[in-house]
Amino acid sequence: MPEKEIACAENRIAFYWQAALENPSRFRLYIWRGNPPGFIPEALALVTALVMFIPILYVLVRGIQGGWDRWLTLLDTRIPHLLWNTLSLTVVVSLAALLIGVAAAWLVTRTDLPARKIWAWLLALPLVVPPYVGAISYIIVFGPQGLVRNLAGETPFDIYSFGGVAAVLTLFTYPYVFLITSAALKRFNLNYEEAGRMAGLNHLQVFRKITLPLLRPAMGAGVLLVSLYTLSDFGLVSMLRYTTFTTAIYFQMGSFDRLSAAVLSVVLILITLVILWLEYRTRGRQKFVQDAGTFRKPLPFSLGRWRLAGLLGLGTVVAAALALPLSVLAYWSYYGIARGALDGRFLEYTSHSLLTAGAAAFFCAVLALPLVYLKSRHPSPVSSFYEKLAMAGYALPGVIIALGMVFIFNSYIPALYGTAVVLVMAYTIRFLPQAMQAEGASLNQVSPRLDEAGRSLGYPPWQVISRIILPLIRPGILAGMALVFVSAVKELPATLLLRPPGMDTLAVRIWIEASEGFYDMAAPASLLIIIVSAIPLKWLINRF
Amino acid sequence: MNKSRLRKPFYLTVAALVLAVLTGALLSGCAPDGGNNGELVVYNARSETFVKPLLDQFEEETGIRVRVLSGKEELVNQIEEERNNVRADVFISNDAGAMEYLRRQDLLAPNDSPALEKIDERFRASDGSWVGLSARARVLIYNKDLISEAEMPKTLQELADPKWEEKFMITRGGNSSMVTHVAALREAWGDEETGSWLSALHQNAGAITGGHTDIRRAVGAGEYPFGLVNNYYYHLQLEEDRDNKVGAIYPDQGESEMGAFVNVAGVALIDGAPNEENAGAFIDWMLEDEQQFEFSYHSKETPLNPEIRAPEGAKEIDQYRAMDINLTDLGPHWPDAKELIQESGLDLGI
Repeated sequence: MPEKEIACAENRIAFYWQAALENPSRFRLYIWRGNPPGFIPEALALVTALVMFIPILYVLVRGIQGGWDRWLTLLDTRIPHLLWNTLSLTVVVSLAALLIGVAAAWLVTRTDLPARKIWAWLLALPLVVPPYVGAISYIIVFGPQGLVRNLAGETPFDIYSFGGVAAVLTLFTYPYVFLITSAALKRFNLNYEEAGRMAGLNHLQVFRKITLPLLRPAMGAGVLLVSLYTLSDFGLVSMLRYTTFTTAIYFQMGSFDRLSAAVLSVVLILITLVILWLEYRTRGRQKFVQDAGTFRKPLPFSLGRWRLAGLLGLGTVVAAALALPLSVLAYWSYYGIARGALDGRFLEYTSHSLLTAGAAAFFCAVLALPLVYLKSRHPSPVSSFYEKLAMAGYALPGVIIALGMVFIFNSYIPALYGTAVVLVMAYTIRFLPQAMQAEGASLNQVSPRLDEAGRSLGYPPWQVISRIILPLIRPGILAGMALVFVSAVKELPATLLLRPPGMDTLAVRIWIEASEGFYDMAAPASLLIIIVSAIPLKWLINRF
Repeated sequence: MNKSRLRKPFYLTVAALVLAVLTGALLSGCAPDGGNNGELVVYNARSETFVKPLLDQFEEETGIRVRVLSGKEELVNQIEEERNNVRADVFISNDAGAMEYLRRQDLLAPNDSPALEKIDERFRASDGSWVGLSARARVLIYNKDLISEAEMPKTLQELADPKWEEKFMITRGGNSSMVTHVAALREAWGDEETGSWLSALHQNAGAITGGHTDIRRAVGAGEYPFGLVNNYYYHLQLEEDRDNKVGAIYPDQGESEMGAFVNVAGVALIDGAPNEENAGAFIDWMLEDEQQFEFSYHSKETPLNPEIRAPEGAKEIDQYRAMDINLTDLGPHWPDAKELIQESGLDLGI
């Protein structure tokens, strides 16, 4: 920053400070862009945002205070190795998911492949398979003691290798890229491509010079989701015997000391921030404007003799990411059930999953409301700030949130430590942003003119909210609840670390059974989680 | 019309969600919370399949509701951190070192129940706060198709030899069987030698797993020629339908050698246990002959009560040379052993 700018920024801060002291109410008016919200919604939003942020802040503080020695030791021994493991996996999985996702999106939206609608569904469906469940199915089939080995005598490749981890993780994360890119392709304005064609470019050149650059924001968003997921994944990575920051934090926290876990968390948070910043940077320099203009259906690109290759490619992806896990799990569930996997305990585990996830869904739906209301109806730097605070849990792995919860509850709120409350709260912190996105999207479609009409007819603000806004954004609230519910049912690391004794959930049982090698006992619960995850599929897909 | 179309799915879904939550509440409510005779919170660091039948039986016989938190060695840490906020009543552990460590941290409560006398003094805490139930020796399990008994290393020292690189599996250093084993080796070899041995082990190990079940299955399947496990994993693998061509080497059996390390699994009484009475009753019950037998039978360990026959296939405790180390002496070395493991890089896996 040049000196002049610094001076300028300092002046500005001084100016705001002065203004806030001299005339608080005018200052409030100013920072809210002349449209401050009522006291109650603001208080609710502020408290929610702070509560969402405190555990993460606490981990950061503990990590930074972890002591110079601990930092040096870890920097010397652990961190370089973990950095390499984590970053190489993130890069490879992101690139592979990008390749598969974009190719598949282009094939199903722009070419003359048969049954494209069905393909589009099939390609999106792996999103409902939790990656650790996918990993179990791959261990069952390709593991060193798996089906292939039993039938053919040897395995074609080592599933417990970098390649194995990267491949399986890609299979269950590419749908993010696929969904976002195909949504973008459907909204594509054809004029640009046609202009390119008229200027004499061939198909390949059009794709490279026009289509791809215009898809850049969608691809970036997809890769962002995939890479954040890779950073945060615990179940798949540890089942396939790989170590990343997330798994290291988990094991460090379990067997050794928590401060080292906090130190590693600080590094992981930094990596997450760098990735967010990179995405922002690369996107920020380019400007994308597509005028809405024409919405003609594009002429499907004729694949000619490449049709078969295209079908084969899509078929392979669907077989590997969907057919294989589902059929393997169904087969093993059958055996597991025959061996008595569906006993009273199974019902108990199911009820624990439903209870905790249901409670989290409810709290998320309620707590998200003030935040999105402020953001939509009182847009200002302040409401964006609250929103960002509340979003923090989203980008960060569940282990870090669990670590923060353990720190805080064990030291300051011992009465609640070790109860389901802590678990529900961790889910809420982690998944509130999903409810915020769903409700926010809904609320933005409700014109503020309706609020004004309500006010002018004599409703006080709270009645405007309860009688006009809430009924109109119901679908958004529901979608948010469903998304949170499913995410919470699937959540593994925080559940493992925070569950009270005797309160195992389905996800925990899958982990325990699988870690002892009883895959048949893990299969029924896995299948049930997949089925539950399919409930909000409609919303899941439309979200992109 | 538009309105009703909007509303129907809404109410349906809300109804479904409410129903789901209510069923959940009901189902978990049905299971008697607390029951008539209160409850017992068990922290269990042992493979759950070995313990669950016993816990179910206890619940049935006494009407005491048993709540289990199954985990691995992280439970030791958890008990330590819950010092001011105790939740556990008893701790079932595979590792005398861990239990003795907890006792020395004043986290266990003394127990003077006469039932403890069935167990030799060597295998229980001086104040009775923990008591061993079964013995397990550290052995090398090997795949007979990949390596012959003659080729196998006969001492643990040999594992540091580069010729075994990528040839064997061990558990993560945090595994408490491993920690206590290292503590014992420290006693025998001293810090420096143990440290360099661990680093070499880290270098040579082909795979580092979370637990031993992974190792016995992988060695049975021929993923690696051999692995370091507790003896009963060998017996368990022998019982499998396939992949059962395995053998076991008890290391360091030569005349002047130190012998295999023998650890015990047992149960500890937590200090300040919320259900202390039930906890005492549980430990007494576990020491009854039938339960003692069951406890070792499922896992093929050797019962510590000499009056109880070892399960078929398990080696009697006097059939091999055991390291001459008093288990209660290992407690204070537990944290040092952990530190040594961390320094060698074995704590997290590969």
